[in-house]
Amino acid sequence: MQMVTLNPPLSLEVGAQHLTQLLRSQATGEGLPGEVRSAWLTAAQTADLQQLFTEQRYREDWKYTPVEFFRQAWALDTPRAPQRSADIAERFILPEEVRGSATLLPAVASLPQPTSPWEAFLGAARYAQHYSMKEGAFLLAPSHGEGVLPLLITISVAAGGSVELLLTPQSKGLLVLRVHLHLAPGAQVRLYLPTDTQVSGTYLYMLLSAHVEREARFESFDLTAYAAWKRTEQKVRLSGPGAEAHLYGAARVQPNTLWDQAIRIEHAAPHTHSNQLFKSLVHARARSTFQGRIYVHREAQKTNAYQSHKALLWDATAAAYSRPQLEIFADDVRCTHGVTTGFLQGDMLLYLQARGVPEAQAREMLAGAFLAEVLDRVPHTGIQEHLRHRLGLPE
Amino acid sequence: MKTETPMLQIQDLHVSVEGRPILKGLNLEVQAGQVHAIMGPNGAGKSTLAAVLAGKEGYEITAGDILLEGQSLLELSPEERSHAGIFLAFQYPVEIPGVSMVQFLRAALNAHRAAKGLDPLDTADLMALLKEKAQLLKLDPSFLTRSVNEGFSGGERKRAEIFQMAVLDPSLVVLDETDSGLDIDALKVVSDAVNALRTPERAFIVITHYYRILQHIRPDVVHILADGRIVRSGGPELAVALEEKGYEPLLATS
Repeated sequence: MQMVTLNPPLSLEVGAQHLTQLLRSQATGEGLPGEVRSAWLTAAQTADLQQLFTEQRYREDWKYTPVEFFRQAWALDTPRAPQRSADIAERFILPEEVRGSATLLPAVASLPQPTSPWEAFLGAARYAQHYSMKEGAFLLAPSHGEGVLPLLITISVAAGGSVELLLTPQSKGLLVLRVHLHLAPGAQVRLYLPTDTQVSGTYLYMLLSAHVEREARFESFDLTAYAAWKRTEQKVRLSGPGAEAHLYGAARVQPNTLWDQAIRIEHAAPHTHSNQLFKSLVHARARSTFQGRIYVHREAQKTNAYQSHKALLWDATAAAYSRPQLEIFADDVRCTHGVTTGFLQGDMLLYLQARGVPEAQAREMLAGAFLAEVLDRVPHTGIQEHLRHRLGLPE
Repeated sequence: MKTETPMLQIQDLHVSVEGRPILKGLNLEVQAGQVHAIMGPNGAGKSTLAAVLAGKEGYEITAGDILLEGQSLLELSPEERSHAGIFLAFQYPVEIPGVSMVQFLRAALNAHRAAKGLDPLDTADLMALLKEKAQLLKLDPSFLTRSVNEGFSGGERKRAEIFQMAVLDPSLVVLDETDSGLDIDALKVVSDAVNALRTPERAFIVITHYYRILQHIRPDVVHILADGRIVRSGGPELAVALEEKGYEPLLATS
């Protein structure tokens, strides 16, 4: 695997330089692809969120997401001594071979903490970083202690490039991570989003957007073994013929936690293809929500779009909300979606038990088999094995 | 020195499903080494008997007891019954996508071993055992790595049941309409395997509609189950009489 040297570790000075560059390019529209500019949180969006969390104003796309979790996260908002980037590698739970094969992108832990949640949103620009890439594998592990950390990252992948990204946020407190990817024609991006920190009180709000040009291919794997509260928004725009998006998710939603997916895939050009496969295993008093919107523009003829979400409820106190939304304005398309929610099947459980497998182990086997459908599709064997282990699946 | 206690004693068993009585005072004794056939018309309670022996939920035992080697089974979970030596070959073996036969039998076998205070089998010994038993059932070794019953034909599923029986080495086997859905060749493979596993220590209960399987697996005792009770018992000739005359005349004279 080719190694790439990236920006030096981010210090305050370097961060300020980035910021200046970004602000300048935002103002002039130079240096960054057009789509990148749209990744900024606008003041209006920030006000929106502020209202959402403070006034609980009704918002359709937050309908099933209890924001009390968010308030709890704000309550943790007491700035602590920031972590040094050197510590981050030691805190990775990922195995050595995964770490060793990737280039470590600079961490942002040394950045100052915002003083209020709203500054956190407004201030996202202050912590922005931009990377241009062509080939390689990259590891990005934003990490911080208690409190709130906002971060905006934009990544442009050059035409014909092929990049693997591993994003493993580590935090105690709330991490707001906004990542924008731009895939030039023919580029391929494989994005891994494993969350398996065993630190209690990890709150993640990830906003991913990807602009996928002609013949480019975007793949993401949202793999959650544990997070107290995790919302992932993925907005993908397929803007040129032959563009593809493949979104996979597997989650073990641990007791009393939230796993939340909000997806929007926009087919804006003909002959585009998208596929979503998400599975969540929901434990006691936990909640899984899935909202998946497929929007097919009038000109996006010959679109193929598939979506599937399956939730497995561990007991009667678990909850799963699932809402597929299809908006189709072209007439020559193939779109399918499927949703299932249910408990472990009693006849499967009895079959395993009747052969002598203890009930608890039988339930684990069935849970593992349920998530394996997604895990089997994870191309990186190191990540797959690690997540299998962390999700309690057989080797 | 073997004791006089029968392998299985079912005493005055009454079972209801959703408040409706299905078994109404069933008595049965099976000695080690014997093969008992239980025949009966649809709705007689044959499948209920199998389900109650395995410990399936949803069956209310309103009276009576089931003793395995003198110990009551009623308070035991399905896995504890399995560890105690009961094996139920299901009429409709369920598909379990994502769980391979090896993974499943490793868990089952090691749970049996743990219940006996034995260490888990190592992988080489496990695989050797599974391959040996697969051969007995004429199963392609590749089926070990496939998901349990997934995409299996009816015949393959029934063979896979008997294969599991051979691996787990139970003392009491209940075959719940194992002959249903089998063509003649598959029936012969299954029956030959069962006959090969007949020992003086092992007992079989063969639940069936048809005489056909009893031509291959010769029973010591044949019972007719009707309306929740055993109404006639006899030797293999009772099954022949059923085959020739049907249930009605036999039930009428009982």
